[in-house]
Amino acid sequence: MIHHQIATMKSYQYIIDYFENSPIIIQVVWALSCILLIAVVILTIYLKKLRSRLRKNEKTVAEYQKEYESDLITYLYAGNEEAEISAEQQVIIDKLRSCATDEFKRRVIVSTLLRLRNEISGEMADAIQKLYFQSGLIIYALKKLKSRRWYVVVKGIRELTQLRVKEVHDKMGVFVNHPKKEIRKEVQLYLVTLFHFDGLKFLDVLQTQLSEWDQIQLLEVLQRFDEQEIPDINPWLKSKNNSVVAFALKLAKIYNQFEVKDALIDLLSHQHKKIRVDTIHVLGHLQVVEAKDILKNNFDILSQDEQIEFFKLLENLCETSDESFLLAHTTNQNFEIKLSALKIIKILAGEKFKSLKYISTDDDYIKIYEFLEYN
Amino acid sequence: MSDAKKIVLAEDNSTLSLLLKFRLEKEGYKLLIAVDGKEAIEMIELHDPELILTDIMMPFISGLEVISHVRNKLNKQTPIIVFSAAGQEEMVLKAFNLGANDFMGKPFSPNELVIRVKRLLR
Amino acid sequence: MNTSTVQIILTIIHLLFFIYAFFAIASYIILAIISAIETKQYMKKNSFVNYKEILSSTISPSISIIAPAYNESLNIIENVRSLLSSHYVNYDVIIVNDGSKDDSLEKLIAAYDLVKVNFLINQQIPTKPIRAGVFKSTNPAFEKLTIVDKENGGKADALNMGLNISNNQYVACIDVDCLLLENALQKMVKPFLEVTEEKVIATGGVIRIANSCIIKNGKLLDVNFPKKWIEKAQILEYLRAFLLGRMAWSRLNGLLVISGAFGLFDKKIAIEVGGYDTNTVGEDMEIIVRMRRHMEEIKEKYKVAYIPDPLCWTEAPDNYKIFISQRNRWTRGTIETLRKHRKIGFNPKYKSLGMLSYPYWLFFERLAPVIEVIGIIYFAILLALNQVRWDFAIAFIILAYLFTVLFSIVAIYSEELTYHQYKKKGTGFKLLQISVLEPFVLHPFILYAAIRGNMDYYFNKKKKWGEMTRKGMAKAQNN
Repeated sequence: MIHHQIATMKSYQYIIDYFENSPIIIQVVWALSCILLIAVVILTIYLKKLRSRLRKNEKTVAEYQKEYESDLITYLYAGNEEAEISAEQQVIIDKLRSCATDEFKRRVIVSTLLRLRNEISGEMADAIQKLYFQSGLIIYALKKLKSRRWYVVVKGIRELTQLRVKEVHDKMGVFVNHPKKEIRKEVQLYLVTLFHFDGLKFLDVLQTQLSEWDQIQLLEVLQRFDEQEIPDINPWLKSKNNSVVAFALKLAKIYNQFEVKDALIDLLSHQHKKIRVDTIHVLGHLQVVEAKDILKNNFDILSQDEQIEFFKLLENLCETSDESFLLAHTTNQNFEIKLSALKIIKILAGEKFKSLKYISTDDDYIKIYEFLEYN
Repeated sequence: MSDAKKIVLAEDNSTLSLLLKFRLEKEGYKLLIAVDGKEAIEMIELHDPELILTDIMMPFISGLEVISHVRNKLNKQTPIIVFSAAGQEEMVLKAFNLGANDFMGKPFSPNELVIRVKRLLR
Repeated sequence: MNTSTVQIILTIIHLLFFIYAFFAIASYIILAIISAIETKQYMKKNSFVNYKEILSSTISPSISIIAPAYNESLNIIENVRSLLSSHYVNYDVIIVNDGSKDDSLEKLIAAYDLVKVNFLINQQIPTKPIRAGVFKSTNPAFEKLTIVDKENGGKADALNMGLNISNNQYVACIDVDCLLLENALQKMVKPFLEVTEEKVIATGGVIRIANSCIIKNGKLLDVNFPKKWIEKAQILEYLRAFLLGRMAWSRLNGLLVISGAFGLFDKKIAIEVGGYDTNTVGEDMEIIVRMRRHMEEIKEKYKVAYIPDPLCWTEAPDNYKIFISQRNRWTRGTIETLRKHRKIGFNPKYKSLGMLSYPYWLFFERLAPVIEVIGIIYFAILLALNQVRWDFAIAFIILAYLFTVLFSIVAIYSEELTYHQYKKKGTGFKLLQISVLEPFVLHPFILYAAIRGNMDYYFNKKKKWGEMTRKGMAKAQNN
């Protein structure tokens, strides 16, 4: 036994001597290795804990979800004829109120409410909102609005949007020009979801860019309402903010705003090419015949994208007076223009179309002509 | 007991399914819930329901295919109501072309749904 | 030459190796940190986005999924069904049957009620010609589907045909057997729409390894950790590369490659640069470099974005032969791309593309295996001459090994804290196990494949795409 202890001490001594006698770089390397090894060991042990915690969380969430789901449904059907709260409902309200103090449970409750709220409308939806107020969940959302962390604020606004809480409108003002774009976006959605077209007033003063994503979301929200009372979009079409103009163009198309055709025609000379192209598209959709002549006269100075879009417009608005123009462009360099021109001629003047069969030996031309012949 | 009319509901939102189940069973119908198109088709083949409610956007077999399967492969005239999210007019048109009887855009009122169900099952 | 000169030369060589290793390790650490920050930010921004609500809308931009297929008869019906069931509204699916010698086309015609249609193709990019024709379905439920049967021309050529045919704004170039999750398109198109200061030209996604996962009828039912070491090691490798590498490059706007298995592109720009290059085996990397170069040359601000969410699941090679063939091809692809675009390397005119991305790829991706092999040969020589300083050697080797293992564990943690796809009990342990084993069971083969790739590139020009036999979710790519 003593031999054993002496041997161990000797090996320790050997290691220490070896270490102290090595060049500095090797000492550093071994020191680093030890640090890394310790890190590896710690992380290894912790990984198991982490994974079981994640697994447990998921199970718990699923359990809670089922529980709160049935609580919610019970609440919704436990009402009585008068608008009072029945005893059964009160039990559930109290339960949810106390569960809401736990952040984890609160999150599940809110997500359950939201999952249902987003799918239904009418009395049931109002009842869900009532429950949201009565159980005190709204307090927590309001607290989120005061947070320093932007993603918490965003979550708060979003919750209030989905539950259609109009009462907090005055608190939202401060966020409209917030430096963080995610917050601004969320507030815009709040305003539009709750106040429909009235909520779009922020467009009058918007300095920052509305991304395509933002625009699509706003339009989606607006489309859910059957209102026909769309406000005057002329000021937005004249805005200095290009993204506001782009958004207004989309509104003009979706809501068939023929009354703004003058502003649209002005936009044909906007400095931004994409806006000009989108304007041509909207004018075609709205069947504004004046635009056709303007564009035809300016055709040669238009960019190619505008030219292609113009021909698409012509497909809807063609008249026999356009025939010579069309004939001139059947041999245009661009494939899509050739296709459009020939297509329109075939519709307008079938006989003339037949006579064009051999006017060009260009491969594309022949391909297009043959395709149109058999379709 | 067994003369309760059977309804197959294909919907992947569990909270909504539960709500509809509660509501419709209160009216005396029997609800069978499927979470995707495949399960829906299996249930329809097994239970031969009197009415089918289906969402259009569902995991891997869409509501459209369910309709197509019922009308063309099973050759049944079971009334079908489809749900769709807003903005899916194209899908709704296709659903009607394939043989759906009615549609409800989401968000919808459950009370309204019950009225339409009753109407189709009269 | 006297001994002191030899000593000096040896010292310089050691110093060079040391400097290279130092920068390599430093770059891994920096990229990992940037990736972590970027992923955290991404999760914060997107944890509450309701994709289902938003982009299941008709106002959303149009996308064409283009999937080339060669001899995919075994699974093509299910693969196509899976592609058709995406929850996006405004999209279509173009399957390009690239001169398959099997009955893929017949099977498709039967399963989807296809008929040949008269179709006009704007041949913006030259491709091999059409063979049997263009087909569409008579069943309205499959209205989104277009099948093109053409003469064999390879993956790049098939993708180009898809680009010619598509009438939509964006194209998703995808391997036909990739399982796409339902909201993949929404997530991938989001960067194109939400970035305002720059133009997004392409988005890449994470490829997850589907080996041993349960996939039925085109739906991912269960995520399992595979059994073979080679499969497990690849998962680890992908986790490191995607979670600790690509996110950083995306943030630095230096992403040079988007996986060929799944990427979303602005169609107009892809066609403007001439589509995919049919003369390279690394067409997925080459087109990104070319698109980036083009944007630099026309001096427009742009970005190549990246989505860390698991959106696409595909089979990885499960035996060494096919694995080596795949990595051989990747190596040749990298060399070809870097050579083709060498003009941009270290060229300030190309800003970060030329001054950061290109040099990094050159030194730490393309040259790394070469330098490593030189190091091994050098070590072998020292060994033969009995000149090895064992104290140095052992210390450094152990340090390098521990660093690799630690890095892998950090990758595992990133995965756990973000997407946590491997939930089953015991997988944590298996992941750790493979972290320890990977330097032995995978890395040597990667090295070997890279060297073969270099040799094949310089000495064996006949080699093109290898072969990957299929099982289960099988695939066979041949050229």
